[in-house]
Amino acid sequence: MSTSAVEARTDLALLAHLYRRAGFGATREQLDRLAARDYEDTVEFLLNPTPEAGVPDDEIARYMGGEAPHAYTATWLFRMINSECQLQEKMALFWHHVFATGLAKNEHALAASSQIEMFRRNGLSDMRTILLDLSHDPAMIFWLDNNENHNGEPNENYGRELLELFSLGVGNYTEIDIKNAARAFTGWTFTQPTPLYPHGYYPTEFRFDPEDHDNGEKTFLGKTGNLDGGDIIDIIVEQPSCARFISRHLYNFFVADEPQVPTWNDLPPQDPELVDAMSKAFLDSGGEIRAVLRVMFNSDSFKDARFKKVKSPTELVVGVLKMVGNHDNFRPGLAKYAESTTVVMGQKLLDPPTVEGWHTGKEWIDGGNLTERVNFAVGEIGDGSSPGIQRIVDRLLEGDSLSSPESFVDSILNAIGPIEVEEPTRAALVKFATDSEGDDDRSRVVRMLRLTVATPEYQFA
Amino acid sequence: MARPYGLLRAGFPYLKTLGMRRLTNFPVGIALGPEGTGRMFILCRQEGAALVRKYSFDDEDGGTFGEVGDEEGKLQWPVSIIADSEENVYISDEALDRISSFDSDGEFLACFGEPGSGEGQFNRPAGMAFDADENIYIVDSMNHRVQKFAKDGQFILGWGSFGDGDAQFDMPWGITVDELGDVYVADWRNDRIQKFSADGEFVMKFGTSGSADGEFNRPTDVAVDLDGDIYVCDRGNNRVQLFNQEARYVEKFLGAATLSKIGREYMMTNASPNRIRDMAVLEPQKFLRQPRSIAVDAAGHLFITDTGSYRVQVYQKEAIHLEPHQFAPPMRSVTLHQE
Amino acid sequence: MTTDVTKNGKGKAPVLVVLQMTGGNDFMNTLVPYTSGVYYDSRKTVNIAEDRVLSINDQLGFHPSAAPLKEMYDNGDVAIIQGIGYENSNRSHFRAMDIMHTAEPLKISTEGWLAKAITQLDPDGKNVLTGVSFGRGLPRAMAAPGVRVTSVSDIDSYGLMTSIEVKEQRAEELDIFKRFYTPAIGSGATMSYLQQTGDDVLAGIDRLQTVPGKYESTVEYADNPIAKSLRDVARTHIAGLGTRIFYVQHAGYDHHAVEMPAHEKLLDELSGALRDFMADLREHDAAEEVVIYAFTEFGRRVQDNGSGTDHGSGGGAFIIGERVDGGLYADYPSLDPKTFANGEDLAHTFDFRGVYATLLEQWMSVDSVDIVHGKYEQLQPFKIAQG
Repeated sequence: MSTSAVEARTDLALLAHLYRRAGFGATREQLDRLAARDYEDTVEFLLNPTPEAGVPDDEIARYMGGEAPHAYTATWLFRMINSECQLQEKMALFWHHVFATGLAKNEHALAASSQIEMFRRNGLSDMRTILLDLSHDPAMIFWLDNNENHNGEPNENYGRELLELFSLGVGNYTEIDIKNAARAFTGWTFTQPTPLYPHGYYPTEFRFDPEDHDNGEKTFLGKTGNLDGGDIIDIIVEQPSCARFISRHLYNFFVADEPQVPTWNDLPPQDPELVDAMSKAFLDSGGEIRAVLRVMFNSDSFKDARFKKVKSPTELVVGVLKMVGNHDNFRPGLAKYAESTTVVMGQKLLDPPTVEGWHTGKEWIDGGNLTERVNFAVGEIGDGSSPGIQRIVDRLLEGDSLSSPESFVDSILNAIGPIEVEEPTRAALVKFATDSEGDDDRSRVVRMLRLTVATPEYQFA
Repeated sequence: MARPYGLLRAGFPYLKTLGMRRLTNFPVGIALGPEGTGRMFILCRQEGAALVRKYSFDDEDGGTFGEVGDEEGKLQWPVSIIADSEENVYISDEALDRISSFDSDGEFLACFGEPGSGEGQFNRPAGMAFDADENIYIVDSMNHRVQKFAKDGQFILGWGSFGDGDAQFDMPWGITVDELGDVYVADWRNDRIQKFSADGEFVMKFGTSGSADGEFNRPTDVAVDLDGDIYVCDRGNNRVQLFNQEARYVEKFLGAATLSKIGREYMMTNASPNRIRDMAVLEPQKFLRQPRSIAVDAAGHLFITDTGSYRVQVYQKEAIHLEPHQFAPPMRSVTLHQE
Repeated sequence: MTTDVTKNGKGKAPVLVVLQMTGGNDFMNTLVPYTSGVYYDSRKTVNIAEDRVLSINDQLGFHPSAAPLKEMYDNGDVAIIQGIGYENSNRSHFRAMDIMHTAEPLKISTEGWLAKAITQLDPDGKNVLTGVSFGRGLPRAMAAPGVRVTSVSDIDSYGLMTSIEVKEQRAEELDIFKRFYTPAIGSGATMSYLQQTGDDVLAGIDRLQTVPGKYESTVEYADNPIAKSLRDVARTHIAGLGTRIFYVQHAGYDHHAVEMPAHEKLLDELSGALRDFMADLREHDAAEEVVIYAFTEFGRRVQDNGSGTDHGSGGGAFIIGERVDGGLYADYPSLDPKTFANGEDLAHTFDFRGVYATLLEQWMSVDSVDIVHGKYEQLQPFKIAQG
C-alpha cells in the first residue's frame, strides 16, 4: 500500500511514537495503514485487544510448544513481534517489571509462565482484579514466601512488598499496617505440584487454608475488622497513594524515565499535571487501568515525550526483529533472543534480578551492554537479505531519496521511524552519505541503515 | 487378512508407560519397528532441540540420533516419523520443508523436498504414512493438500486445496493408510477426519468442533487398526477417541499413566522429589497432556505420545472377532429388548 | 588481619583469576574417597575404580583425567578446599550460582562480590579493564550498580560492529560511530552519559586490541573453550593493562546422565588448560602475582541415579598458584550417612564466605567485611610473606 492511496489522518511520527511506547514499534507498512485512522481510534484499538487481532493460540501450540522457560519466552517474543494487540503484550511486560518474580528462586517454569499469561489476560483490567489475581498466583506466593505466612507465625515478606513495591510506595503506610496486611494473607498458599521428574511440570493453583488463616481483628490503614487479603486489597485500591503510585509507574514505563522507584517518596514526578490527571482517572473509574492509559496516551505530554526513554533490551531487540522481518511467520530461532541476546544486554525475561525489578533508564546502559546493543542491531540490520530490510531498501530506491547526502539521511531517518537525531549525529550521517557517494546504491542504503541503528538516539524510544 | 465380521469389545485396559523427562523429551512422533521386536523410534522436539530416541517396549534407552541445524542430515522442526520394513526412518521437517531419511543407526541416507507449492514442493510438511508398497503419503500442511511419493521422493500424485468442503483442508496435520489402502487425514483446523481412496477420491468425513464425544479440538493424528477401528488424537481436548470403521464413536482414552520403569528407578535415588510427590494430589498425573501422535500395532497396542508429560502411554485392546453366527444382523433402530 | 602479599609478587599487584565450573561439579569424582565403602555403595555406576585413582594419600585421589592438576598439586601449587558450602545449600542452579556470586544465601542481591572488590581496587573507576570477564554477558559476581567492568567474548574479535566483514567498510563506519559518541555539550544528561559510555568502550577496545600483538609464547594450549579463555587471560595479563580480576567460565558440569565420559572430558580440558596457563605465565615471568580460584555452585548427590548424579551440596574448590601453600584445607565432607544434609547430600565443612574473605584480604588486600557481609573463618593457603 502506498502512502498516497489513503488520506493520512494521523501524523506518522506521532503514530510511530505511540507504537514504540504502547507496543514494540511498527513497520512502515503498518504505520501507513494505521495513518488512515484517527489517533484516538488507534488508542482505543490498542486499549481493547481481541483474540482475533492476536496471534492464534492454536498456532502457537502447534509450532512453538514446550514448557521450558526459553520455549515460553520465544512464544512471547513472537507475540510481541506479530500480535496486533501490541498493548496487551506491552502491559504484560509492564506488570512483569512491577511485580518482578524471578526464576532464580522460583524454579517452576510453568508457574512462571502462567504468571505472565495472567498479566496478558488481566493487564488492562482494574487494579483490584490485578492485585487479587497476583495474591492468588503461586509463583508470586512462593517468590515472596506467602506459603510460609502462617497463622500465629506471620511472614511479612508479601505484605511488605505488596504495599512498598506493588501498590502504595514507601511513606504511605506504617510497619503496623505491614504486620496486619501479612496477617490478613495468612493461609493464602498454593496446591503442591508434583515434582518436575519424571513427567514434567504440573500446574499449581491458589489454595486457601482456613485452618492457617488468622481470623483475629486487624487494623489496616485506619479500617478495623476481621480483614482478609481481599479486604486489604479493597482498601489499597481506594487509596489516593495507590492511584498515584500506579500512575507514576505507568508514566515511567510509557512516557518518560523517572528516577528509580525507591526515591519516589522524596522526588516529585517530573510531570505532576499528567500524573495527577492519571491518578484522577484511576480514582474516578475505581482503578480501571484502561481509563488511566486512555488519559495518558491522549495527553499532550505523552505526544510530546518523544525519545525520552532508554529502550529496554526487550524493546530494542523486538523493535529490530520487527524491522528485519525474519520472524513474521513461525520459524525456529526466536528463543536465543530472549535467552541470550537480551540477557547479555541486562534483561532476562522471567528472571528479573530482584523483587524491585529491573532498574531502567540510563541504568540499562553500561559499556558491555552498549556494545551488545550496537553489535546486535548492526548485525541484524546489516544483513541486507532479510525481507524487512529489502522492503525498506526497495522503497528508498523508488523515489529520489538518494539525490543528495542530506536527503539520503532524512529519508533513512524517516524510513526507520521516523526518528529524530541530534545535530552531531546527523552531521556524522551526512558525512557518511557524502563519502559513500558513487558506491552501489543498495549497499549504501544497507550501510546507512546499520549506522543509524548504532546511533545513541536509536537507544531511545 | 479380512476384517472381522463383528467385534466383541471386551475392554481396552491401560498397559504401561514408557519414558521420562530427559529421555523422551516432548515426544511428538513414534515409529514402531517390525512386529514383535519391541523396537521403536521416538521423535522428540522442543524449542532448540530435535532428536530421535531409539527405545524399547521394555522401557530401555537405545541412544539417540539427530541434531539441530539446516544442513542436510540435520533437523529443525521435525513433525512426523515413520519407519519402513528395513527400519529406515523418514522424518518430515516443517521448518526446512523437506523429508530426511536415516538408517536405524542414525546414519543420514537422503532427503527430498523444497519450499514451494508445486508438485513435490512443500509448505510445512506434517504427517506421513506408508502404504503397503511403501509409497509415502505426506500431508503438505500450508499448501492444504496431500502428496504421494515413491520412497525415493519421486512425486506420484496429490490432492486437496484450502477450504472446508469435501477434499478441502485447513492446515491438515496427521495421516494414516489402513490395510486396505484407504487414506485418513486429520484436518486440523476443520476439526474433522476425512477418508479418501488410495488415489485421493473422497470417501467420507466425520467430526465437528467441540469437546463432546465424537467432537474434536484440533485433531493432530489418526490411526487405523486391522479391525478397521479409527483412533483420533484429539490434542486440544487432551484425549484420544476411538471410532468404529463406520466412524461411530465408541470410547475415549484420557490417560491412565503409571510411573514408567525408568521413572521408578529415577525416583528411588531422589529423596526430595519423593517427598514432594507424596505431598501432591496425584490424579492429574494420569491424564494425557497435549498428546500429539498415535500408533497401533497388530497385537492391539495403542501407543500415544503424551507430549506434555514426556512419555508414551500404552493401552492394550482386548476384542474378540465374531463370526456371523455370533453376531446378529444390523438393526435399524435402537431397542429395549434385552435378549 | 590483612597480610600484604604484594611483596611476594615481586612488587607486582596481585591478580585473581576466578574460574567458574558451571553446572555443579561432582567433587566426589574429582577428589575421590577411594577407600570408602559408602562411596562405592552409593556410586554403583558413576564411580572411579580404586586402581584408576591418582592417589594423594591413603584415602583420597584425583580423577585419572586430572593428571595435570595432580602434578601441580604434587608441586605444592594447589590448595584444595574440601567441603565448601553454606547452611541449607540451594539446589537450583540459578539461585545457587547467585548465592556464590553475591555471597548472600538468604536474600536476593544485585551486588557481585568481585564487583565490590573492584570498587576498592579502583575507587574512581579509572580503568575499565580493572575487572575483565571472558564470555558473553557479565556474571553477577562481576556486576554491581555503578561498577564498570569489561566483558569480552573473544579477544581476537572484540570490538564494535564486528559483524561487518569488509575491513575497509568497518573502519569507515567505526569512524562515523566515534563521531556519534563524542561527548557533546548541550546534550541531555542521559544522552551525554550514553555518549560517554560509547567513548569508554572505544577506549577499552583500543587498549584490548593491543593484546594479541604483545604476545608470543611457546605454550600451545589445547583447542577447547576453557583453554581458549585462560589463554586470553594470560595474554591480557602479560600485556599489562592493569587488570586485577579476571573471570572465566567452564560450562557443562550438570551431569544428570551419562556422567562418566562427560566428566572425564571436562576434567581433562580443565586441568590441561590450568597446567598450560601456569606454564605460559612462568615463561613470561608473570606467574607469581597470579592466583586462580576455581569453584562451582554445588556438589552432587552422594547416590548416583544409574547414569549420572543429581544436584547436591558439599562441593570443593581450588586455589592455585605459585604463592599458594599447596595441600588439603578444611575437612573432606563426612561420608557417614547419618551426617548427610537432607539425608542424601554431603554436608559442607567450610563456609564459602570464609574462602572469599581469605582471597580478598590475604591475597588482594581488600577489606572483606562489607563484601561477604560479616566476618568468617579464613584459611591460610598462601605462603607467608618473607619480608
